[in-house]
Amino acid sequence: MQGGELRVENISKRFGGLRVFTDLSFKIAPAEILGVIGPNGAGKTTLINVICGKLAPSSGQILLDGRPVTGKPVHELSRRGLVRSFQQTNTFKSATVRENLSRAIRFSGSPISIWDRLNDLLKQFDLAPRLDEPSDKLPYGMQKMLGLLLAYTTRPKVLLLDEPAAGLERRERTQVDVFVKAAQADFGCSVLIVEHDMDLIRRLCPQILVLDAGHLLAAGTPEDVLSRRDVIDAYMGVGDDEEVVA
Amino acid sequence: MNAIRRNAGEIATVLILSAALAVPFLTEDPFVYSVANQIFIAITAAFSVYLMLRMDLLTFAVPVFMAVGGYTVAIAGLKGGVTDSFVLTALSFLVPALIALPLGILVLRLKGVYFVLVTFVLTEITQLVLFETPGLTGGSNGLVGMPPTTLFGLELADNRAVLLLAIGVTVTGAIITALVTSYHRQNFAAIEENETLAQSLGLVVWRYKVLGFVVAAGLAGMAGFSLVNMLLTAHPTSFSASSSVNYIAYTIVGGRVSMLGPVVGSVLLVWMSNLFSNQGQYSQGLFGLLIIIVTLVARGGIVGTLANLVAFLRNWFRQNDNITAAAPPSALSEHT
Repeated sequence: MQGGELRVENISKRFGGLRVFTDLSFKIAPAEILGVIGPNGAGKTTLINVICGKLAPSSGQILLDGRPVTGKPVHELSRRGLVRSFQQTNTFKSATVRENLSRAIRFSGSPISIWDRLNDLLKQFDLAPRLDEPSDKLPYGMQKMLGLLLAYTTRPKVLLLDEPAAGLERRERTQVDVFVKAAQADFGCSVLIVEHDMDLIRRLCPQILVLDAGHLLAAGTPEDVLSRRDVIDAYMGVGDDEEVVA
Repeated sequence: MNAIRRNAGEIATVLILSAALAVPFLTEDPFVYSVANQIFIAITAAFSVYLMLRMDLLTFAVPVFMAVGGYTVAIAGLKGGVTDSFVLTALSFLVPALIALPLGILVLRLKGVYFVLVTFVLTEITQLVLFETPGLTGGSNGLVGMPPTTLFGLELADNRAVLLLAIGVTVTGAIITALVTSYHRQNFAAIEENETLAQSLGLVVWRYKVLGFVVAAGLAGMAGFSLVNMLLTAHPTSFSASSSVNYIAYTIVGGRVSMLGPVVGSVLLVWMSNLFSNQGQYSQGLFGLLIIIVTLVARGGIVGTLANLVAFLRNWFRQNDNITAAAPPSALSEHT
Protein backbone atom coordinates (compact mmCIF):
# COMPACT_ATOMS: atom_id res chain seq x y z
CA MET A 1 0.00 0.00 0.00
CA GLN A 2 1.28 3.49 -0.91
CA GLY A 3 1.35 6.31 1.60
CA GLY A 4 -0.06 9.70 0.77
CA GLU A 5 1.63 13.01 0.09
CA LEU A 6 0.51 15.89 2.28
CA ARG A 7 1.21 19.48 1.23
CA VAL A 8 0.41 22.39 3.49
CA GLU A 9 0.57 25.68 1.58
CA ASN A 10 0.62 29.06 3.30
CA ILE A 11 -1.98 28.20 5.89
CA SER A 12 -2.87 30.58 8.66
CA LYS A 13 -5.27 30.23 11.54
CA ARG A 14 -6.80 33.04 13.54
CA PHE A 15 -9.37 32.98 16.34
CA GLY A 16 -10.75 36.51 16.20
CA GLY A 17 -7.76 38.73 16.88
CA LEU A 18 -5.54 35.87 18.03
CA ARG A 19 -3.14 34.55 15.39
CA VAL A 20 -2.33 30.93 16.19
CA PHE A 21 0.01 30.46 13.22
CA THR A 22 0.72 32.39 10.07
CA ASP A 23 1.75 31.40 6.57
CA LEU A 24 2.94 27.87 7.31
CA SER A 25 4.10 25.70 4.42
CA PHE A 26 5.62 22.23 4.42
CA LYS A 27 5.34 18.89 2.67
CA ILE A 28 5.37 15.28 3.81
CA ALA A 29 6.37 12.89 1.03
CA PRO A 30 4.83 9.41 0.86
CA ALA A 31 6.19 7.17 3.66
CA GLU A 32 8.10 10.10 5.21
CA ILE A 33 8.03 10.86 8.94
CA LEU A 34 8.05 14.51 9.95
CA GLY A 35 8.34 15.68 13.54
CA VAL A 36 6.83 18.95 14.72
CA ILE A 37 8.08 20.41 17.96
CA GLY A 38 7.64 23.68 19.74
CA PRO A 39 6.82 25.14 23.14
CA ASN A 40 3.32 24.95 24.56
CA GLY A 41 1.05 27.38 22.75
CA ALA A 42 3.09 27.28 19.55
CA GLY A 43 0.04 26.06 17.61
CA LYS A 44 0.98 22.40 17.12
CA THR A 45 -2.37 20.85 18.09
CA THR A 46 -4.25 23.56 16.21
CA LEU A 47 -2.14 22.67 13.17
CA ILE A 48 -3.32 19.05 13.43
CA ASN A 49 -6.91 20.22 13.96
CA VAL A 50 -6.69 22.31 10.79
CA ILE A 51 -5.08 19.57 8.69
CA CYS A 52 -7.57 16.89 9.76
CA GLY A 53 -10.56 19.14 9.00
CA LYS A 54 -11.74 19.81 12.54
CA LEU A 55 -10.98 23.51 12.08
CA ALA A 56 -11.03 25.46 8.84
CA PRO A 57 -7.87 27.46 8.09
CA SER A 58 -8.22 31.24 7.89
CA SER A 59 -6.22 31.15 4.66
CA GLY A 60 -4.05 28.83 2.62
CA GLN A 61 -4.70 25.33 1.38
CA ILE A 62 -4.03 21.69 2.16
CA LEU A 63 -3.48 19.08 -0.55
CA LEU A 64 -3.63 15.33 -0.15
CA ASP A 65 -2.00 13.50 -3.05
CA GLY A 66 -2.16 16.72 -5.04
CA ARG A 67 -5.90 17.27 -4.51
CA PRO A 68 -7.15 20.17 -2.39
CA VAL A 69 -8.89 18.98 0.77
CA THR A 70 -9.08 22.29 2.63
CA GLY A 71 -12.27 22.61 4.69
CA LYS A 72 -13.44 19.07 3.97
CA PRO A 73 -15.19 17.45 6.95
CA VAL A 74 -13.25 15.22 9.32
CA HIS A 75 -15.07 12.02 8.35
CA GLU A 76 -14.43 12.57 4.65
CA LEU A 77 -10.70 13.18 5.16
CA SER A 78 -10.56 10.14 7.41
CA ARG A 79 -12.16 8.05 4.67
CA ARG A 80 -9.52 9.39 2.27
CA GLY A 81 -6.78 8.20 4.59
CA LEU A 82 -5.91 11.38 6.50
CA VAL A 83 -6.32 10.18 10.09
CA ARG A 84 -5.33 11.63 13.43
CA SER A 85 -4.75 10.47 16.99
CA PHE A 86 -5.42 12.56 20.07
CA GLN A 87 -3.25 14.09 22.77
CA GLN A 88 -5.46 12.78 25.57
CA THR A 89 -6.57 9.17 25.80
CA ASN A 90 -9.40 8.94 23.35
CA THR A 91 -11.45 5.77 23.19
CA PHE A 92 -15.11 4.84 23.44
CA LYS A 93 -14.95 4.64 27.22
CA SER A 94 -17.67 2.17 28.14
CA ALA A 95 -17.03 -0.06 25.13
CA THR A 96 -14.63 -2.97 25.42
CA VAL A 97 -11.30 -3.03 23.59
CA ARG A 98 -12.84 -5.40 21.05
CA GLU A 99 -15.88 -3.13 20.53
CA ASN A 100 -13.62 -0.10 20.14
CA LEU A 101 -11.66 -1.78 17.38
CA SER A 102 -14.80 -3.21 15.76
CA ARG A 103 -16.27 0.29 15.62
CA ALA A 104 -13.09 1.64 14.03
CA ILE A 105 -13.26 -1.11 11.39
CA ARG A 106 -16.96 -0.43 10.78
CA PHE A 107 -16.68 3.36 10.59
CA SER A 108 -13.61 3.38 8.36
CA GLY A 109 -14.83 0.64 6.05
CA SER A 110 -11.69 -1.42 6.66
CA PRO A 111 -11.92 -5.15 5.91
CA ILE A 112 -12.44 -7.61 8.77
CA SER A 113 -9.13 -9.19 7.82
CA ILE A 114 -7.35 -6.25 9.47
CA TRP A 115 -7.83 -8.17 12.73
CA ASP A 116 -4.97 -10.42 11.56
CA ARG A 117 -2.61 -7.44 11.60
CA LEU A 118 -4.10 -6.04 14.78
CA ASN A 119 -3.61 -9.26 16.75
CA ASP A 120 0.15 -8.95 16.62
CA LEU A 121 0.09 -5.35 17.87
CA LEU A 122 -2.47 -6.18 20.54
CA LYS A 123 -0.05 -8.81 21.87
CA GLN A 124 2.88 -6.38 21.82
CA PHE A 125 0.90 -3.76 23.73
CA ASP A 126 -0.42 -6.36 26.25
CA LEU A 127 -3.97 -5.68 25.11
CA ALA A 128 -4.67 -9.17 23.75
CA PRO A 129 -5.75 -10.65 27.10
CA ARG A 130 -7.91 -7.60 27.82
CA LEU A 131 -10.03 -7.54 24.68
CA ASP A 132 -13.26 -7.87 26.64
CA GLU A 133 -12.50 -5.22 29.26
CA PRO A 134 -14.12 -1.77 29.05
CA SER A 135 -11.50 0.62 27.73
CA ASP A 136 -11.89 3.07 30.63
CA LYS A 137 -10.82 0.32 33.04
CA LEU A 138 -7.45 -0.05 31.31
CA PRO A 139 -4.29 1.60 32.66
CA TYR A 140 -3.55 5.00 31.07
CA GLY A 141 -0.76 3.68 28.85
CA MET A 142 -2.94 0.94 27.43
CA GLN A 143 -5.76 3.39 26.74
CA LYS A 144 -3.28 5.56 24.88
CA MET A 145 -2.03 2.65 22.78
CA LEU A 146 -5.62 1.59 22.09
CA GLY A 147 -6.29 5.12 20.84
CA LEU A 148 -3.36 4.74 18.42
CA LEU A 149 -4.62 1.32 17.31
CA LEU A 150 -8.00 2.85 16.47
CA ALA A 151 -6.21 5.17 14.04
CA TYR A 152 -4.16 2.22 12.70
CA THR A 153 -7.37 0.25 12.04
CA THR A 154 -8.48 2.84 9.47
CA ARG A 155 -5.49 1.93 7.23
CA PRO A 156 -4.18 5.52 7.09
CA LYS A 157 -2.29 7.04 4.19
CA VAL A 158 -1.25 10.02 6.29
CA LEU A 159 -1.16 9.66 10.06
CA LEU A 160 -1.24 12.72 12.32
CA LEU A 161 -0.06 11.84 15.82
CA ASP A 162 -0.71 14.43 18.51
CA GLU A 163 1.77 13.83 21.35
CA PRO A 164 1.56 10.03 21.22
CA ALA A 165 4.03 9.64 24.11
CA ALA A 166 2.43 12.21 26.42
CA GLY A 167 1.71 10.70 29.83
CA LEU A 168 3.41 7.40 29.02
CA GLU A 169 6.06 6.00 31.33
CA ARG A 170 9.55 5.96 29.86
CA ARG A 171 9.49 2.18 29.35
CA GLU A 172 6.14 2.46 27.54
CA ARG A 173 7.31 5.07 25.06
CA THR A 174 9.10 2.55 22.85
CA GLN A 175 5.65 1.15 22.07
CA VAL A 176 5.06 4.31 20.07
CA ASP A 177 8.11 3.39 17.95
CA VAL A 178 6.68 -0.10 17.46
CA PHE A 179 3.33 1.41 16.47
CA VAL A 180 4.77 3.89 13.95
CA LYS A 181 7.00 1.27 12.36
CA ALA A 182 4.10 -1.19 12.09
CA ALA A 183 1.86 1.45 10.49
CA GLN A 184 4.59 2.30 8.00
CA ALA A 185 5.38 -1.33 7.24
CA ASP A 186 1.72 -2.30 6.82
CA PHE A 187 0.35 0.75 5.04
CA GLY A 188 3.43 2.69 3.92
CA CYS A 189 1.82 5.73 5.50
CA SER A 190 3.33 9.16 5.93
CA VAL A 191 3.45 10.32 9.53
CA LEU A 192 3.39 13.73 11.17
CA ILE A 193 4.34 13.55 14.86
CA VAL A 194 3.78 16.41 17.26
CA GLU A 195 5.79 15.57 20.35
CA HIS A 196 7.75 16.95 23.29
CA ASP A 197 9.80 13.78 23.84
CA MET A 198 13.02 14.63 21.99
CA ASP A 199 14.40 11.11 22.33
CA LEU A 200 11.39 9.79 20.48
CA ILE A 201 11.68 12.57 17.87
CA ARG A 202 15.34 11.70 17.30
CA ARG A 203 14.57 7.98 16.98
CA LEU A 204 11.68 8.32 14.56
CA CYS A 205 11.97 11.55 12.62
CA PRO A 206 14.62 12.18 9.94
CA GLN A 207 13.21 15.70 9.53
CA ILE A 208 11.63 18.08 12.00
CA LEU A 209 9.97 21.48 12.06
CA VAL A 210 10.06 23.87 14.97
CA LEU A 211 7.06 26.10 15.58
CA ASP A 212 7.33 29.10 17.81
CA ALA A 213 4.44 31.49 18.42
CA GLY A 214 2.80 30.44 15.19
CA HIS A 215 5.87 30.84 12.99
CA LEU A 216 8.17 28.28 11.44
CA LEU A 217 11.39 28.82 13.36
CA ALA A 218 13.53 26.07 11.92
CA ALA A 219 13.45 22.98 9.73
CA GLY A 220 15.97 20.20 9.14
CA THR A 221 17.41 17.10 10.76
CA PRO A 222 17.04 16.73 14.53
CA GLU A 223 20.80 16.95 15.00
CA ASP A 224 21.02 20.30 13.20
CA VAL A 225 17.84 21.85 14.50
CA LEU A 226 18.00 20.83 18.15
CA SER A 227 21.43 22.32 18.63
CA ARG A 228 20.49 25.73 17.26
CA ARG A 229 20.61 28.56 19.77
CA ASP A 230 17.33 30.17 18.63
CA VAL A 231 15.52 26.81 18.93
CA ILE A 232 16.90 26.25 22.42
CA ASP A 233 15.93 29.76 23.47
CA ALA A 234 12.44 29.46 22.04
CA TYR A 235 11.77 25.95 23.22
CA MET A 236 13.38 25.83 26.62
CA GLY A 237 13.69 29.47 27.45
CA VAL A 238 17.36 28.82 28.33
CA GLY A 239 20.53 30.07 26.71
CA ASP A 240 24.13 28.82 26.79
CA ASP A 241 25.16 25.92 24.63
CA GLU A 242 22.71 23.46 26.10
CA GLU A 243 20.92 21.25 23.60
CA VAL A 244 17.17 20.65 23.78
CA VAL A 245 16.79 17.56 25.94
CA ALA A 246 13.18 17.63 27.09
CA MET B 1 -28.05 -16.20 20.83
CA ASN B 2 -25.71 -13.22 21.15
CA ALA B 3 -28.08 -11.14 19.02
CA ILE B 4 -30.96 -11.98 21.37
CA ARG B 5 -28.85 -11.06 24.41
CA ARG B 6 -27.69 -7.85 22.76
CA ASN B 7 -31.25 -6.83 21.92
CA ALA B 8 -32.87 -8.17 25.09
CA GLY B 9 -34.19 -4.74 26.13
CA GLU B 10 -35.78 -4.08 22.75
CA ILE B 11 -37.30 -7.57 22.49
CA ALA B 12 -38.65 -7.46 26.06
CA THR B 13 -40.18 -4.02 25.48
CA VAL B 14 -41.99 -5.04 22.29
CA LEU B 15 -43.25 -8.27 23.91
CA ILE B 16 -44.47 -6.50 27.07
CA LEU B 17 -46.25 -3.81 25.07
CA SER B 18 -47.79 -6.42 22.75
CA ALA B 19 -49.04 -8.32 25.79
CA ALA B 20 -50.66 -5.07 26.93
CA LEU B 21 -53.13 -5.46 24.06
CA ALA B 22 -54.99 -7.72 26.51
CA VAL B 23 -55.49 -4.85 29.01
CA PRO B 24 -58.67 -3.43 27.41
CA PHE B 25 -60.30 -6.86 27.77
CA LEU B 26 -59.46 -7.24 31.46
CA THR B 27 -61.61 -4.37 32.70
CA GLU B 28 -64.40 -2.04 31.69
CA ASP B 29 -63.53 0.66 34.21
CA PRO B 30 -63.45 3.99 32.32
CA PHE B 31 -60.91 5.41 34.80
CA VAL B 32 -58.49 2.55 34.04
CA TYR B 33 -59.05 3.12 30.32
CA SER B 34 -58.30 6.82 30.72
CA VAL B 35 -55.09 6.27 32.73
CA ALA B 36 -53.97 3.47 30.40
CA ASN B 37 -54.52 5.74 27.39
CA GLN B 38 -52.37 8.44 28.99
CA ILE B 39 -49.68 5.87 29.79
CA PHE B 40 -49.46 4.53 26.23
CA ILE B 41 -49.41 8.04 24.74
CA ALA B 42 -46.65 8.90 27.22
CA ILE B 43 -44.65 5.78 26.29
CA THR B 44 -44.79 6.59 22.57
CA ALA B 45 -43.70 10.18 23.21
CA ALA B 46 -40.97 9.03 25.61
CA PHE B 47 -39.56 6.74 22.90
CA SER B 48 -38.92 9.93 20.94
CA VAL B 49 -36.86 11.37 23.81
CA TYR B 50 -35.13 8.01 24.31
CA LEU B 51 -34.05 7.80 20.68
CA MET B 52 -32.47 11.26 20.84
CA LEU B 53 -30.75 10.46 24.13
CA ARG B 54 -29.11 7.47 22.41
CA MET B 55 -27.04 10.16 20.67
CA ASP B 56 -26.66 12.26 23.82
CA LEU B 57 -29.10 14.86 22.50
CA LEU B 58 -31.70 16.20 24.89
CA THR B 59 -34.75 17.45 23.01
CA PHE B 60 -37.66 19.56 24.17
CA ALA B 61 -39.22 19.36 20.70
CA VAL B 62 -41.47 16.34 21.36
CA PRO B 63 -44.67 18.47 21.71
CA VAL B 64 -43.78 20.19 18.41
CA PHE B 65 -43.93 16.97 16.45
CA MET B 66 -46.82 15.64 18.52
CA ALA B 67 -48.73 18.73 17.43
CA VAL B 68 -47.78 18.18 13.79
CA GLY B 69 -48.87 14.53 13.97
CA GLY B 70 -52.02 15.30 15.91
CA TYR B 71 -53.16 18.19 13.71
CA THR B 72 -52.29 16.20 10.58
CA VAL B 73 -54.71 13.40 11.48
CA ALA B 74 -57.33 15.92 12.65
CA ILE B 75 -57.15 17.81 9.37
CA ALA B 76 -57.06 14.57 7.37
CA GLY B 77 -60.17 13.38 9.20
CA LEU B 78 -62.12 16.63 9.15
CA LYS B 79 -61.20 17.96 5.73
CA GLY B 80 -60.14 14.83 3.87
CA GLY B 81 -62.52 12.32 5.41
CA VAL B 82 -59.62 9.97 6.11
CA THR B 83 -60.46 7.63 9.00
CA ASP B 84 -58.47 4.47 8.32
CA SER B 85 -56.21 3.79 11.32
CA PHE B 86 -53.33 2.49 9.24
CA VAL B 87 -53.37 5.52 6.95
CA LEU B 88 -53.67 7.94 9.87
CA THR B 89 -50.83 6.21 11.77
CA ALA B 90 -48.64 6.40 8.67
CA LEU B 91 -49.54 10.08 8.15
CA SER B 92 -48.85 10.92 11.80
CA PHE B 93 -45.38 9.42 11.41
CA LEU B 94 -44.50 10.65 7.94
CA VAL B 95 -45.58 14.31 8.06
CA PRO B 96 -43.59 15.19 11.24
CA ALA B 97 -40.67 13.13 9.92
CA LEU B 98 -40.67 15.08 6.63
CA ILE B 99 -40.78 18.40 8.48
CA ALA B 100 -37.99 17.22 10.79
CA LEU B 101 -35.68 16.42 7.88
CA PRO B 102 -34.74 20.00 6.85
CA LEU B 103 -35.21 21.22 10.42
CA GLY B 104 -32.80 18.58 11.68
CA ILE B 105 -30.15 19.47 9.12
CA LEU B 106 -30.40 23.03 10.44
CA VAL B 107 -30.61 22.58 14.23
CA LEU B 108 -28.34 19.56 14.57
CA ARG B 109 -25.40 21.82 13.75
CA LEU B 110 -25.86 23.07 17.30
CA LYS B 111 -24.44 21.23 20.25
CA GLY B 112 -25.11 20.91 23.96
CA VAL B 113 -27.13 23.60 25.62
CA TYR B 114 -27.67 25.51 22.33
CA PHE B 115 -29.44 22.52 20.79
CA VAL B 116 -31.59 22.10 23.91
CA LEU B 117 -32.46 25.81 23.86
CA VAL B 118 -33.46 25.79 20.19
CA THR B 119 -35.70 22.75 20.63
CA PHE B 120 -37.40 24.56 23.51
CA VAL B 121 -37.87 27.68 21.39
CA LEU B 122 -39.45 25.49 18.68
CA THR B 123 -42.21 24.51 21.12
CA GLU B 124 -43.04 28.19 21.71
CA ILE B 125 -43.00 28.91 17.98
CA THR B 126 -45.36 25.97 17.47
CA GLN B 127 -47.80 27.37 20.03
CA LEU B 128 -47.70 30.70 18.22
CA VAL B 129 -48.37 29.07 14.85
CA LEU B 130 -51.24 26.96 16.24
CA PHE B 131 -52.95 29.97 17.82
CA GLU B 132 -52.32 32.36 14.92
CA THR B 133 -53.42 30.19 11.98
CA PRO B 134 -57.13 29.63 12.70
CA GLY B 135 -57.88 28.83 9.06
CA LEU B 136 -55.83 25.68 9.24
CA THR B 137 -55.65 24.77 12.94
CA GLY B 138 -58.80 26.34 14.36
CA GLY B 139 -56.71 28.78 16.41
CA SER B 140 -57.62 28.93 20.08
CA ASN B 141 -60.72 26.77 19.47
CA GLY B 142 -58.64 23.95 18.06
CA LEU B 143 -60.13 21.34 15.74
CA VAL B 144 -63.16 19.50 17.06
CA GLY B 145 -65.67 17.01 15.70
CA MET B 146 -63.28 14.55 14.15
CA PRO B 147 -64.91 11.44 12.72
CA PRO B 148 -64.07 8.21 14.60
CA THR B 149 -61.14 6.26 13.23
CA THR B 150 -61.81 2.94 11.55
CA LEU B 151 -60.06 -0.40 11.24
CA PHE B 152 -60.94 -2.42 8.14
CA GLY B 153 -64.13 -0.33 7.92
CA LEU B 154 -65.15 -0.89 11.56
CA GLU B 155 -65.54 2.25 13.69
CA LEU B 156 -63.21 2.51 16.68
CA ALA B 157 -65.50 4.74 18.70
CA ASP B 158 -65.86 3.25 22.19
CA ASN B 159 -63.34 3.53 25.03
CA ARG B 160 -62.00 0.02 24.55
CA ALA B 161 -61.37 0.56 20.82
CA VAL B 162 -59.64 3.90 21.47
CA LEU B 163 -57.35 2.26 24.03
CA LEU B 164 -56.66 -0.66 21.68
CA LEU B 165 -55.65 1.82 18.99
CA ALA B 166 -53.37 3.68 21.44
CA ILE B 167 -51.67 0.40 22.42
CA GLY B 168 -51.37 -0.60 18.75
CA VAL B 169 -49.73 2.73 17.95
CA THR B 170 -47.36 2.30 20.91
CA VAL B 171 -46.40 -1.22 19.81
CA THR B 172 -45.74 0.12 16.30
CA GLY B 173 -43.63 2.90 17.81
CA ALA B 174 -41.76 0.36 19.94
CA ILE B 175 -40.99 -1.80 16.89
CA ILE B 176 -39.71 1.24 14.94
CA THR B 177 -37.58 2.36 17.91
CA ALA B 178 -36.24 -1.17 18.44
CA LEU B 179 -35.34 -1.61 14.77
CA VAL B 180 -33.57 1.74 14.50
CA THR B 181 -31.68 1.53 17.79
CA SER B 182 -30.60 -2.08 17.39
CA TYR B 183 -29.58 -1.75 13.72
CA HIS B 184 -27.57 1.43 14.44
CA ARG B 185 -26.59 0.51 18.00
CA GLN B 186 -22.84 0.89 17.44
CA ASN B 187 -23.21 4.16 15.52
CA PHE B 188 -25.48 5.74 18.12
CA ALA B 189 -23.33 4.47 21.00
CA ALA B 190 -20.20 5.91 19.39
CA ILE B 191 -21.88 9.30 18.88
CA GLU B 192 -23.16 9.27 22.47
CA GLU B 193 -19.78 8.39 23.95
CA ASN B 194 -17.28 10.24 21.78
CA GLU B 195 -18.55 12.06 18.70
CA THR B 196 -15.16 13.55 17.86
CA LEU B 197 -13.45 10.15 17.82
CA ALA B 198 -16.29 8.61 15.80
CA GLN B 199 -15.89 11.34 13.16
CA SER B 200 -12.14 10.96 13.04
CA LEU B 201 -12.57 7.23 12.37
CA GLY B 202 -14.81 8.00 9.39
CA LEU B 203 -18.36 7.90 10.78
CA VAL B 204 -20.67 10.39 9.06
CA VAL B 205 -22.09 11.60 12.35
CA TRP B 206 -24.55 14.19 10.97
CA ARG B 207 -26.27 11.54 8.86
CA TYR B 208 -27.11 9.38 11.88
CA LYS B 209 -28.12 12.39 13.94
CA VAL B 210 -30.55 13.49 11.24
CA LEU B 211 -31.87 9.92 10.93
CA GLY B 212 -32.44 9.79 14.70
CA PHE B 213 -34.09 13.23 14.72
CA VAL B 214 -36.41 12.32 11.84
CA VAL B 215 -37.50 9.00 13.38
CA ALA B 216 -37.91 10.65 16.81
CA ALA B 217 -40.15 13.27 15.18
CA GLY B 218 -42.23 10.50 13.57
CA LEU B 219 -42.62 8.72 16.92
CA ALA B 220 -43.73 11.96 18.58
CA GLY B 221 -46.21 12.46 15.74
CA MET B 222 -47.70 9.02 16.43
CA ALA B 223 -48.08 9.96 20.10
CA GLY B 224 -49.87 13.11 18.91
CA PHE B 225 -52.24 10.96 16.87
CA SER B 226 -53.12 8.83 19.93
CA LEU B 227 -53.64 11.96 22.04
CA VAL B 228 -55.94 13.62 19.50
CA ASN B 229 -57.81 10.36 18.99
CA MET B 230 -58.37 10.04 22.75
CA LEU B 231 -59.50 13.65 23.19
CA LEU B 232 -61.33 13.84 19.82
CA THR B 233 -59.87 17.35 19.71
CA ALA B 234 -56.67 18.90 18.48
CA HIS B 235 -55.97 21.88 20.71
CA PRO B 236 -52.78 23.92 21.23
CA THR B 237 -52.84 23.40 25.00
CA SER B 238 -52.42 19.65 24.50
CA PHE B 239 -48.96 20.36 23.07
CA SER B 240 -47.63 22.94 25.51
CA ALA B 241 -43.92 23.55 25.93
CA SER B 242 -44.09 22.47 29.56
CA SER B 243 -45.38 19.01 28.60
CA SER B 244 -41.94 18.29 27.12
CA VAL B 245 -40.58 18.18 30.69
CA ASN B 246 -42.94 15.27 31.39
CA TYR B 247 -41.69 13.19 28.46
CA ILE B 248 -38.07 13.85 29.42
CA ALA B 249 -38.88 12.90 33.03
CA TYR B 250 -40.52 9.64 31.96
CA THR B 251 -37.38 8.68 30.03
CA ILE B 252 -34.73 9.78 32.50
CA VAL B 253 -36.50 8.53 35.63
CA GLY B 254 -37.33 5.21 33.93
CA GLY B 255 -33.81 4.93 32.57
CA ARG B 256 -32.15 5.94 29.33
CA VAL B 257 -30.00 2.80 29.18
CA SER B 258 -32.73 0.56 27.79
CA MET B 259 -35.98 0.80 25.87
CA LEU B 260 -37.67 -0.54 28.99
CA GLY B 261 -36.76 2.72 30.75
CA PRO B 262 -39.32 4.96 28.99
CA VAL B 263 -41.98 2.26 29.56
CA VAL B 264 -41.27 1.94 33.29
CA GLY B 265 -40.96 5.72 33.72
CA SER B 266 -44.19 6.44 31.86
CA VAL B 267 -46.20 3.82 33.76
CA LEU B 268 -44.90 4.98 37.12
CA LEU B 269 -45.10 8.73 36.65
CA VAL B 270 -48.42 8.86 34.80
CA TRP B 271 -49.90 6.57 37.44
CA MET B 272 -48.46 8.82 40.20
CA SER B 273 -49.81 11.94 38.47
CA ASN B 274 -53.27 10.46 38.51
CA LEU B 275 -52.84 9.27 42.08
CA PHE B 276 -52.08 12.82 43.17
CA SER B 277 -54.44 14.39 40.66
CA ASN B 278 -55.81 16.77 43.29
CA GLN B 279 -52.37 18.33 43.41
CA GLY B 280 -51.84 18.16 39.65
CA GLN B 281 -50.34 21.64 39.57
CA TYR B 282 -47.32 20.26 41.44
CA SER B 283 -46.65 17.39 39.05
CA GLN B 284 -44.11 19.24 36.89
CA GLY B 285 -42.26 20.41 40.00
CA LEU B 286 -42.29 16.81 41.22
CA PHE B 287 -40.98 15.57 37.87
CA GLY B 288 -38.23 18.20 37.89
CA LEU B 289 -37.25 17.12 41.40
CA LEU B 290 -37.19 13.47 40.31
CA ILE B 291 -34.92 14.32 37.35
CA ILE B 292 -32.50 16.06 39.73
CA ILE B 293 -32.55 13.14 42.19
CA VAL B 294 -32.08 10.52 39.46
CA THR B 295 -29.31 12.53 37.81
CA LEU B 296 -27.51 12.87 41.14
CA VAL B 297 -27.89 9.40 42.63
CA ALA B 298 -28.99 6.94 39.92
CA ARG B 299 -27.98 8.10 36.45
CA GLY B 300 -29.24 4.91 34.85
CA GLY B 301 -32.76 5.60 36.15
CA ILE B 302 -34.91 2.83 37.61
CA VAL B 303 -34.08 0.23 34.95
CA GLY B 304 -30.35 1.08 34.95
CA THR B 305 -30.15 0.91 38.74
CA LEU B 306 -31.96 -2.43 38.84
CA ALA B 307 -29.67 -3.78 36.10
CA ASN B 308 -26.61 -2.64 38.08
CA LEU B 309 -28.01 -4.24 41.22
CA VAL B 310 -28.58 -7.56 39.44
CA ALA B 311 -25.04 -7.43 37.97
CA PHE B 312 -23.61 -6.63 41.42
CA LEU B 313 -25.46 -9.52 43.08
CA ARG B 314 -24.46 -11.91 40.30
CA ASN B 315 -20.79 -10.97 40.73
CA TRP B 316 -21.08 -11.22 44.50
CA PHE B 317 -22.57 -14.72 44.36
CA ARG B 318 -20.00 -15.76 41.76
CA GLN B 319 -17.12 -14.51 43.93
CA ASN B 320 -18.52 -16.31 46.97
CA ASP B 321 -18.82 -19.51 44.94
CA ASN B 322 -15.22 -19.14 43.80
CA ILE B 323 -13.99 -18.57 47.37
CA THR B 324 -15.91 -21.63 48.56
CA ALA B 325 -14.59 -23.75 45.68
CA ALA B 326 -11.02 -22.58 46.23
CA ALA B 327 -11.03 -23.14 50.01
CA PRO B 328 -9.36 -26.31 51.29
CA PRO B 329 -11.75 -28.92 52.77
CA SER B 330 -10.40 -28.28 56.28
CA ALA B 331 -11.28 -24.57 56.04
CA LEU B 332 -14.84 -25.43 55.07
CA SER B 333 -15.28 -27.91 57.87
CA GLU B 334 -14.14 -25.32 60.42
CA HIS B 335 -17.07 -23.11 59.47
CA THR B 336 -19.68 -25.84 59.25
